[in-house]
Formats: sequence, C-alpha cells, structure tokens
Amino acid sequence: MASENGGINAPDSWDQEDQDDSTSGVSKPASSLKLNANAAAFVPGKNPYANTFVPSFGNKNNQAVDSTPNPPEKEEEAMNTNNEVAANWEGETETQPEKAEMPEEKKIETTDDGGGEDEGIEELSEEEDDEEEDEGGTTSVVKPKKIIQEQESGEKKDHVNVVFIGHVDAGKSTIGGHLMYLTGMVDKRTLEKYEREAKEKNRETWYLSWALDTNSEEREKGKTVEVGRAYFETEKKHFTILDAPGHKCFVPNMIGGASQADLAVLVISARRGEFETGFEKGGQTREHAMLVKTAGVKFLIVVINKMDDPTVLWSEERYNECKEKLIPYLRKVGFNPKTDIHFMPVSGMTGAFLRDIPDESICPWYRGPAFIEYIDQLNLSSSSEDIDKPVRMPIVDRYKDMGTILLGKLETGTISKNQTLTIMPNKQNVKVMQMWSDDIETDSANPGENLKIKVSGVEEEDITGGFVLCSPENLCHTGKLFDAQIVILEHKSIICAGYSAVLHLHTSSEEVTIKALLCIIDKKTGEKTQIKPRFVRQDQLAIARMEVNGGLICLETFKDFPQMGRFTLRDEGKTIGIGKVLKVLD
Amino acid sequence: MIIHLFLFTVPTNGLVIYCGTIVTDEGKEKKVNIDFEPFRPINTSLYLCDNKFHTEALTALLADDNKFGFIVMDGNGALFGTLSGNTREVLHKFTVDLPKKHGRGGQSALRFARLRMEKRHNYVRKVAEVAVQMFITNDKPNIAGLVLAGSADFKTELSQSDMFDPRLQAKIIKVVDVSYGGENGFNQAIELAADALSNVKFIQEKKLIGRYFDEISQDTGKYCFGVDDTLKGLEMGAVDTLIVWENLDITRYVLKNHSTDVENILFLKPEQEKDKTHFIDKDTGVELELVEQMPLLEWFANNYKNFGATLEIITDRSQEGAQFVRGFGGIGGILRYQVDFQVLDPHLDDMFEDFDLDDY
Repeated sequence: MASENGGINAPDSWDQEDQDDSTSGVSKPASSLKLNANAAAFVPGKNPYANTFVPSFGNKNNQAVDSTPNPPEKEEEAMNTNNEVAANWEGETETQPEKAEMPEEKKIETTDDGGGEDEGIEELSEEEDDEEEDEGGTTSVVKPKKIIQEQESGEKKDHVNVVFIGHVDAGKSTIGGHLMYLTGMVDKRTLEKYEREAKEKNRETWYLSWALDTNSEEREKGKTVEVGRAYFETEKKHFTILDAPGHKCFVPNMIGGASQADLAVLVISARRGEFETGFEKGGQTREHAMLVKTAGVKFLIVVINKMDDPTVLWSEERYNECKEKLIPYLRKVGFNPKTDIHFMPVSGMTGAFLRDIPDESICPWYRGPAFIEYIDQLNLSSSSEDIDKPVRMPIVDRYKDMGTILLGKLETGTISKNQTLTIMPNKQNVKVMQMWSDDIETDSANPGENLKIKVSGVEEEDITGGFVLCSPENLCHTGKLFDAQIVILEHKSIICAGYSAVLHLHTSSEEVTIKALLCIIDKKTGEKTQIKPRFVRQDQLAIARMEVNGGLICLETFKDFPQMGRFTLRDEGKTIGIGKVLKVLD
Repeated sequence: MIIHLFLFTVPTNGLVIYCGTIVTDEGKEKKVNIDFEPFRPINTSLYLCDNKFHTEALTALLADDNKFGFIVMDGNGALFGTLSGNTREVLHKFTVDLPKKHGRGGQSALRFARLRMEKRHNYVRKVAEVAVQMFITNDKPNIAGLVLAGSADFKTELSQSDMFDPRLQAKIIKVVDVSYGGENGFNQAIELAADALSNVKFIQEKKLIGRYFDEISQDTGKYCFGVDDTLKGLEMGAVDTLIVWENLDITRYVLKNHSTDVENILFLKPEQEKDKTHFIDKDTGVELELVEQMPLLEWFANNYKNFGATLEIITDRSQEGAQFVRGFGGIGGILRYQVDFQVLDPHLDDMFEDFDLDDY
C-alpha cells in the first residue's frame, strides 16, 4: 500500500488544514462524517508508515469530529480511501508526469521529519496553525497550502457558484459567514475573535460577516465593497460563495460577481421598514434581481432574512407579505415563480433554517428544507457538453503573488496544468503553472469551477478584468463595433445616437457610445416597426449599433455564447438597460 | 473715423472697432470696418496698428472666469478635470493598482492588510500631490470651486487627509458619490454637482437640451429638428428656442437663375457642395449664379430675431449635447405650440451606414 501510494503519486504537500474546529462541542450532522482529512507532509521513501496517511480528501466538514480522537475507525477509513484513490489514480495516467514536476515543493518536504509527524496527526489536528508549521519547518519558506487530492474528474463534486444579492444591510455577508461557519470553513476560534473585536466596536451583530468582509474599511462600516469569495462543500456539491456588495455605489462590483454565478440567493430583510426601502425605487432589491437575471442566472432562491428580529418574530404574515410583494416583480424580471424561484425564511444571525431547523415552537408554519439541504439537492442543469468546447474564462481580476495570478470562472472547456492558453484581446500566450479551484490546488479544472491560475509569459500590468482566457486554437471574438438588441429599462428622457453609458459584458466594463439606432422592435409582436428611429425611450426594445470607446473588447454573439453576449448598460449609477449582442462588426 | 466717434457716448459695455483692408478670396483688396459693443464689459484698452486683427481680449471675454475643478477617484485610478463655461476638460488621469481582497488567508493576512493600507495611503497622497500641480498656479488656486467625486471612501479620505492642500480644501464645494471612475464618473459628478454649479454655461446647456429631450419623450409635438423642419418652424414663428451646434457645417446658399430670375435657397453639407449639380438648374441646364454663401449658423445668428426666437449655441461636450448632435443632426428647436411636420429631413438619413435588418 505504502509503496503503491507513494510510487504512483509523488505527492506535493499534504499540509493540514488551516482551520480546524478546535471545539469538539459543535455537533455536526452525521452525514458529514465520512473520512479523516488530516495528513501531514510526506516524503516518499523516507516514511515507513505511509499507509497511515490520508490525502486531505475534499471534506472539511468533519473537522470537529476529527478533534475527538478515535484512531481505529479512522485508520480503517483512511485505508479505504487510500485504496479508492489509488485505484482512481491508476486509471488516470495523464496526471502522473505532472505530479513529478514539482521539485520546488518536494525540496521543502524533505526537511520534514515525515515519520515523526505521522504519529502526531491526532495531536496536530488540535494544535494551532503556527505551531504546526514550526514543527514542519516550513514557516519561513511557504505558507501552508490546502491541497486536496482531486478525485477523478468524473467523480468531482458539482461546482456551483452562488451569488448573494440584495439591498444593503439585508444580511448577505452574515448569511455567507454563517454558512461558512456551519460547514466548518471558519473555525469557532476565529469567529470568537471576530465577535470580541466586533464587540469592542459596538458592532456585535457584524461578526459573522467578517468572515467575508476582510478589508478594514468593510469591517469598519459593515458594508461589503468588493465581492467576497469563499467556498463550502456539502455532501454532493461544492459551492463557491460570491458575496456581492449591496450598496448602490458598488453595483459595478456586484455585476462582476453576478457574471460568475450559476445560482443567486436574493436576501431580503423582513425587518419593518428595511424590506420596504430595499424594494422601493432606488433600492437594490429590484436592481440586483434584474442584474443577476441578465447575467444569466436561471434560478433564484429568495431568503427572507431577519425573521428573528423583534419586529418580525417569525410571523408568517410578514413572510407572506414580503413574498407576495416580490413575486410580481420577479416575474416581470423573467423568473418564473413556479419553476425558477424558491422562498424560505431564515435568520442569518441565529442560523435558523440555514442548516438546522429550529424548534417547532419558534416557527410552526415552515418546517424546511433548510438552506443547505435545499441547495444540495437542487438540480442545476450544468451542461456536460461545455467540457468539450474550447476554453473560455473571463478574467475577473488579477494580482501578483510570485507570478501573475488570474481569477475567474471557467465557462467552457477544461484547463489542465502546463497547458498553453491565449489571453484575448491582446493575443498573448501564457502557460498555466499552477491552479487552484477555490483555494484547493488542482491539476485540471472543469467548467463551472472558480479558478485561480498562476500563469507565466505575461505581466500582471498587461491584463485587466474583462480579458478572456481562450484555447489558442479557438480564440474568442474581439471587436469594438457591434449591433445589439437593447431594452431600455429606466431612463428619464430619450436615448438617441450619441448616447454614452457604461457597458458591463461578462466581467468587463467599458464605456460605449450608441452610434446609430437601427430599428425599434414591437415588444408584443416582435416585428421591426420603425426603421432608423430617431430615438428610443423607456420600455422600448431596439436594435442599436454601439461602439466601445476604449478599444477592443472580447465579446461573442448571444446566439453563439450567451455568457459573453449579454450585457447591462449603466449610467449615472443606474441600470439604464440590458441587451444582447447580435453581430460583431469590427 | 475716430474723430467721428467723439460725437457719440460710449456704449455701456465699451466699444470694439476693427478697420483695415483685407484680401478677399478673389484676390481683391477690400476695406472692412467692423464695430460692435461686446456682450459684457470689456476692460482692456487697446490701440494697435498691426498686420492682423487682435481678438485676444474678446476671446478672454468669452471664457467664463468661473472655473471649477473636479477630482474623480476610485479604486482603479484618478481623473482631474475642469469645467469652465461650456468647456469640460480632462487635465490629467492616471491609473492605480490597488490590491483587492483575494481572500489570501494564513499568516500573510496581516502583512497583506498592512501592504494594502500602505498602497491606499500612497494613492491618496499621489492624488493630493497631483491636485496641487493641477489646481494651484503661482501659489494660488486657479479654480473657483472643487468637486470631489468617487466611489467608496477615497474621496472622503482625501478631503479629510492632511496631505491635501488646505488651499484646495477650502475650495471644496461638494463631495459626490459616483459609481464609476474615469470619463463616465466625471460626467456623473458634473450632473450631481449641477445645483452647486448652476451658473456655469455647461450646466445650462445640459438643462436646455434636457428640456428639449423631455418634449420629445413626452411626445408633446412641441419640438422640431433638422434644417427643413426647423426653418419651417421659424417661418411659422413657432420656434421659441432655436438650438444649434456650434460646429454645424451646413452652408446656406442663395442661388439665382438668370433666365427665370428665380432665387433659390439651398442648405448644403461640405460633401454635398462638391456635387456641382446643385448649382445647375435641372430643367434648363443653366449654371446658377451664386448670390450669397454663408454658414447657416452665422445666418441664424444674424436673423434669429426676425423670427421671434432665441438662439442657443451648444457644444457636443455634454452627454445631452453629444446626443443632440449625433442623433438629431445638431439643429432643432423647442416650439411654442404643437406643429406636425410630415416630411423627413433628407440631411439626416445619410448618417447611417448600410445594414441589413434581416440579419437579426
């Protein structure tokens, strides 16, 4: 076993999780009790006890359980898993050579005293991060990496990108933070620290959101500015949380997050007054719902939050009131209330109905399913044919960290390590050096995954958000002049040629000018009524020729590739219209 | 001539006289004598003999002395601009690369946060420094007021920062929230600061065209656009406000057919002027005599009073102005009462390229 494991898979580093739930008192659902995820560094050939190792295998939910030692059972599980994984690896030949190409990390590993650590696993899991690093002697060299050995692609969990949207202060970040806590992504100790710090600032209720609001300005004001990213796993699925800012000034940031989402969670505050302001004209509830629809999100979960608030007290009436007010609008946006929307009451602060269903005395009229349970069983048709398509990954952001790192969601195709890709629109070839799918290092990625890719061959300054990573043999279209169908949603006067606004197309935002209006389409009949109209006004549908002022951008027609063919037009802090690309001209 | 002037009292705003000989297009010498009262008091006294007419003092009159500075800053960069009269000008812009939150956890979190703070601090410092370069000349602010705009907290950080020059700090008239940086943010900042800048011509221009667009969007019928409709409206006396783009390149021609003695008026664009068929009578093939040729704008300036209208000359530098020029050809008017114009203006149709609607 040991030799088999070591031989086939020269491992990188199986450092322990950063976050372990140090308190064993938190009860975890029995379902998450699957296998042990803790393993220390490992050096092939040096370690006679290699079979006690387990690759930290995709499940962090059971951290709390791990901390209550029960070695025999664990070992047995570990063996099973190892067998299973090894079997998978045998069938998967292409990853082997790649594995061997990691001399850097191996070097670090050799400084570890592998054998000694294996016996220490149980203790280690209860120890603090930094101590653990010291023992491994790696502190100064690399930061601990969470490396989870991927199962073979077929067995990979479905990746779902969930964006949390809603009016400012509805509780998006708090729910996101609470979910991370419930799934063991944030340990209790960290949260306690947050709680203490929040208390010092007299902002007790904010501590949960601090798991996602990591900037000091965000924490100070309790307002998310940039889209927060995190992930958690359930039994069947892997979820990426995209925590969008609710404030109206940061809608452009929110659009960037929405463009990556497969599923949206609209968070509504049930508190008296808050629901109303969020839903009024100028509130972000409407705008966000519309923006995620435009971004291509097909399913919306509406969570009525703050049900525990003194003004609500789990009142069914209030819940229904919110629900009834929302439905007509959501229908207008394009969500079918019967098939595309699901409502549920929750409390982000107490965590009611997030994972655990509260006592019947609190809420007799809704008995589940709870949020996690619901999204886990949700069947989102992730099309398998996306895998065979050429690679398209709109870049959300990039930064420098010992190389150029690109962030984005892989829309179609698969990316593997050492693959050569092309960045559009400036046609630069890059090589994939390293990849992380939600902080977990991986060697190949499938559509839907939220990736961080370290590439070589390009400087970070040469890339901006809105660029697209493509297969070199099949590049995406670029252009600056295009014809598009647009719907004017809200504009006080008329729009005619010469009008300029900001275009949000996949992850890019560029200033565009309407060059000419080609025709107006009758909304009911779909006929082209007025050819070359002088102007369009609110609620009209038109075909317009538009030009990007800044230069080339990556775009596709809506027909060919919807994710890169639909857009939002914004001006003066408002969403003016939405549209889709019909033809790229130049 | 100057001796003659002593017979008159000087007008309230002063008097401007240009006289001399100029060479006309045909190569003939021509004596010219131009005198007028400037539209606002001129406080320059100038008596000069030169080989050209000096108009600098008049140009200075046109420039609005109220110049407003704008600083638009967001997470991607900063833009410095001014607004003066009807000119909107971008003085400088630069981009900045601030670390975003990437969820880099672990031990580097604190270091990362520190680096982040430092970068942001440096950014604010840089903006403060550039602001001094842009808006302070000879140790004095060269602007009447300063508008700070931006998303997130940068603008407030800047306005409160002690790195920000106190001379400029004193000039801040408004701090506004915009969702974008760059040009779009600049436009939005102007819009949002409109009430503080209401006496600036640029804002008045935006409001005027905004009013014109309102007439259109409300479908009151009290508007017209295009040369032909606008002239019809003028002749009917229906035009209340005549709006013309400052660079309107349509020329008014008065042509006379000698054989029939009929005068014909044409409005031609530069590319149409090249087409000589316009100057030949279609029926007889006789070349028409050019009686008068003048830019349409000038003709309007000379004659608008005869039609009981007020003339507003606008630029295409504002969002509304750009729409008016590109979408409506740069000429139009707000009417006193509803007029139904049936004929489409042929001048506007050629601005479209060919397209095939069946593609969609």
